Amino acid sequence: MIVGKRKPIEDIVNAITGFRKVLILGCGTCVTVCLTGGDREARALARDLANGEYFEGNTPNFHVDTIERQCEWDLVETHLHLPPDTDAILSLACGAGVQTLADVFGQLPVIPALNTTFLGALDEPGVWREKCQGCGDCIVAETGGICPVSRCAKRLFNGPCGGSVEGKCEIKGDVDCAWHLIINRLKALGRMDDYEKIHPPKDWSPERGAGPRKLESAAQPELP
Amino acid sequence: MSFFRVNNKCNGCLACVQNCPANALKAADQGEERTLLHNMTLCARCGNCWRICPQKAIEFSHLLDGGWDEVASMKLVRCMICSEPLYTLDFKETVAERVAHNLEPLCPHHRQALSLTAWKHLAPALSEAKGVQK
Repeated sequence: MIVGKRKPIEDIVNAITGFRKVLILGCGTCVTVCLTGGDREARALARDLANGEYFEGNTPNFHVDTIERQCEWDLVETHLHLPPDTDAILSLACGAGVQTLADVFGQLPVIPALNTTFLGALDEPGVWREKCQGCGDCIVAETGGICPVSRCAKRLFNGPCGGSVEGKCEIKGDVDCAWHLIINRLKALGRMDDYEKIHPPKDWSPERGAGPRKLESAAQPELP
Repeated sequence: MSFFRVNNKCNGCLACVQNCPANALKAADQGEERTLLHNMTLCARCGNCWRICPQKAIEFSHLLDGGWDEVASMKLVRCMICSEPLYTLDFKETVAERVAHNLEPLCPHHRQALSLTAWKHLAPALSEAKGVQK
């Protein structure tokens, strides 16, 4: 899922200072699950902003709402009802949600309250770790289901680099060496032959080399 | 309660069934009847059915706003002084069993107030016993 981290409160305060009526909008999917941008976090942020003495007597009026997905324009356009006189939206969605809101409400400033951080998975309750960088050319079939692009600090395709100690990466003690994991998994799968294959330099064009990417599904129905 | 609601514009064309990516919709044809079925557990609330429906029959707002289903109901224990809700009777019994002690149903405020009252009664006697001067 998409994992985001809330911006420091001072940054949010700076961004919304001067507005009179702000809609704080949670998003009901990824950022709800990773506990940073759902309805609870939206309400908590509104409480913090309203109760703190951040605005020198000019605290904006806050209204809180949450919509299932901020990243779908027709859903937002049809089902999100802006309170009258709203003059800014503070979005707790990922960057895709923030930009969708900005497109739908072209006349309103849309301010992100989160930093979209990574595509990750839940490792233990409350802990999400990066597992994918959306490189556009998945190779984990050859690496035991473990991604060297996102989980190796050096993005090596023919690792390990030799800097790891007892399975931990040299950059930080709590980061697993991806290639240590890959080798262990390939051994367990009886597929060490895959490890012997030399991976040629990766073609990065499916990542961002060719500019912003687009997916057009043949099965996708036409929008109304 | 179903949060997937279809209004009377639905003509049973099955565009929604064919376009549901989560297979959360199906139709059952029996005798002279076609019935549309929805499975909330499978539904991803993606809105594809609402987008695709040529009749505008799917009232998707119910899937966004929803409502509350009652899933369990049990006896409540309140503070014996102020009636503030504390916990359920079942919870009290579970805890009482574990700590082998019957809990007085008191809210934090009255628990503290009661123990202070007890100390007020006990303190003079204790001070006297220890020879503490006032």
